[in-house]
Amino acid sequence: MESADLIRSARFREEREADWRRLEALVQEAEARGVTGLSFMQARDLSSLYRQATTSLAIAREISLDKALLAYLEALTARAYLSVYAPQERLGGVFAKFLTKGAPQAMRRSWAFIVLGFLCLGLGALSGYLLYFDDPDWYHVFLPDSLSAGRGPGSTTEYLRRVIYDDDPSAQGRGAFATFLLSHYTRIAIFVFGLGVFLCVPAIALIFYNGLMFGAFVALHVNRGLGWDIAGWLSIHGVTELSAICIACGAGLQLGFAVLFPGQRTRAQSLRVAGRDATKLALVAALMLVAAALLEGFGRQLVQDLNTRLWIGWGVGALWLAWFCLAGRRRR
Amino acid sequence: MRWPRRKPKAEAPPADQLLPPEGVPIYLRIAGVGVRLAAQITDILITVIASIAFLIVLGALDLTSPETWGAIAYMLFFIIRVPYYVLSEIAWNGQTLGKRLMKIKVVSYDGRSLKVHALVVRNLMKEAEIFLPATLVLVLDASEPAFTLPALIWIIGTCLVPLFNKRRRRLGDLIAGTYVIHLPQPVLLQDVSNLSLRRPKTKQDFSFLSHQLDHYGAFELQTLEELLRAQTSRMPYQTGKTYADTLAQIVENIRRKINYPDNITEDQRLQFLQAFYNAQRAHLEQRQLFGERRSDKFFDENDSKETS
Repeated sequence: MESADLIRSARFREEREADWRRLEALVQEAEARGVTGLSFMQARDLSSLYRQATTSLAIAREISLDKALLAYLEALTARAYLSVYAPQERLGGVFAKFLTKGAPQAMRRSWAFIVLGFLCLGLGALSGYLLYFDDPDWYHVFLPDSLSAGRGPGSTTEYLRRVIYDDDPSAQGRGAFATFLLSHYTRIAIFVFGLGVFLCVPAIALIFYNGLMFGAFVALHVNRGLGWDIAGWLSIHGVTELSAICIACGAGLQLGFAVLFPGQRTRAQSLRVAGRDATKLALVAALMLVAAALLEGFGRQLVQDLNTRLWIGWGVGALWLAWFCLAGRRRR
Repeated sequence: MRWPRRKPKAEAPPADQLLPPEGVPIYLRIAGVGVRLAAQITDILITVIASIAFLIVLGALDLTSPETWGAIAYMLFFIIRVPYYVLSEIAWNGQTLGKRLMKIKVVSYDGRSLKVHALVVRNLMKEAEIFLPATLVLVLDASEPAFTLPALIWIIGTCLVPLFNKRRRRLGDLIAGTYVIHLPQPVLLQDVSNLSLRRPKTKQDFSFLSHQLDHYGAFELQTLEELLRAQTSRMPYQTGKTYADTLAQIVENIRRKINYPDNITEDQRLQFLQAFYNAQRAHLEQRQLFGERRSDKFFDENDSKETS
């Protein structure tokens, strides 16, 4: 058919169709290789063709009744919009920025929640400790057998000491137990973070319960006169690991507070704002858990001396604290 | 005590509308719960298969003993799935493999780039929102109602969150400030007005008077468009008697409605329909340019209702 015979909207389409096709191809390329992978000419064309397409869409909505054309233009502009205005973020420097600025600043901003997390764990530990001295049977209530690995009020002092100062690092099951503990604590960290949003209650309950386990476990050893030894055994990784859990709990509590007390914002807005710092806290916790796993995997078996264990454990803890307090401060 | 009075809400734009700086509103269709569930199940399958593969490798290297397989498999699944969701969504700009398969995508609430922290948090929340309830459901014990009941209430509450907001956001989406859309698929079909249908032996021009074109609106026009478009992809077996009857019925209905005087012979039917489509579309589009949108054939009644 001659183009003069066409109805107006068909002519409109014929004149612009080549540009739309071109935009379609450019969008596909931008999605496959990223906007940064486009050449200068292509990037320039992408944005100008996108603007033309939005104009075409606005006109087509007014003048055309061709359903196929309208659907195509709606989809094309939406797709092009995504690659023009919401391209993939550049990842370079994300880690460095997070380590030097984002994480420590977020930690300082939410110090109150983190203190709250430590308080929950500390109170739980205190209760567990006192309850054990009240009646050692509490130990079985708090610690499931899979976690205690045969250590309980019934085991001999000699056995407990042997576990702490492990003579044979390659002992069967020891490695599996350590990895199990690691994934146990990682899971707890993720859960206290994720559960915080449910009005804080499950996160507090979970971390308090972990405090109870911890307290009872320590009390068992103190009761047998192994107090310093277990302190060393736990310190080398526990300082890092338990802090990580408390920080994750702090992040969860922050989300729960955002739901409970949104202030002038809607709950969704307040969650979104709280989510920024909470995510950074969760990532810090994850980082610390990895570090704890390394300390536990190597440090605990290689370092058998009590004092060195204490030094390493609390020294690493002090390093974390220094990072949180000192890094990312603006220069005056 | 006086309750603080709520401010009357301003007319909110539709949930799927986005206003770019160009000022032309665009629509991103929100992905429903079903398609997202399908993507989630695909992702779970992928991660399960990956962990089974790892387990087999570990078994072949004699690093595990059969007694600990259960625990190790569970741990492997955990170790693989947590980074899988975060990294794949970062790498593919908001799409995991399951989402790519289902052609859905995560976008930011303000329509700008997805921030890394948003992708991290929405996938960390997945642990508490999907995997923990799913594990709980598997281990729930009806003989312990004190634990089971609150757990069930909590699980149901979590599952209901997406149903109670317009953009179908789960808790992780709310915290991250994201939602999930169908990725728009631009497919340009041919314009029906210059489609080359089968030509009859005798070529004939149909012409319509303007009062004959005042009966139908956009809805009927676009239905006719779909009918004509289906002719291009028509299979040979569609030439049966029922098909011919349907076409005859349609032509007859239109002819009666618009008082078209001439009879249409069998081989002219498609040609007639296309000619009518073209004339009707040109007419309606012209009316629209003059500010009169006719959405369907009841436009007259709507008009009189408004004026009376």
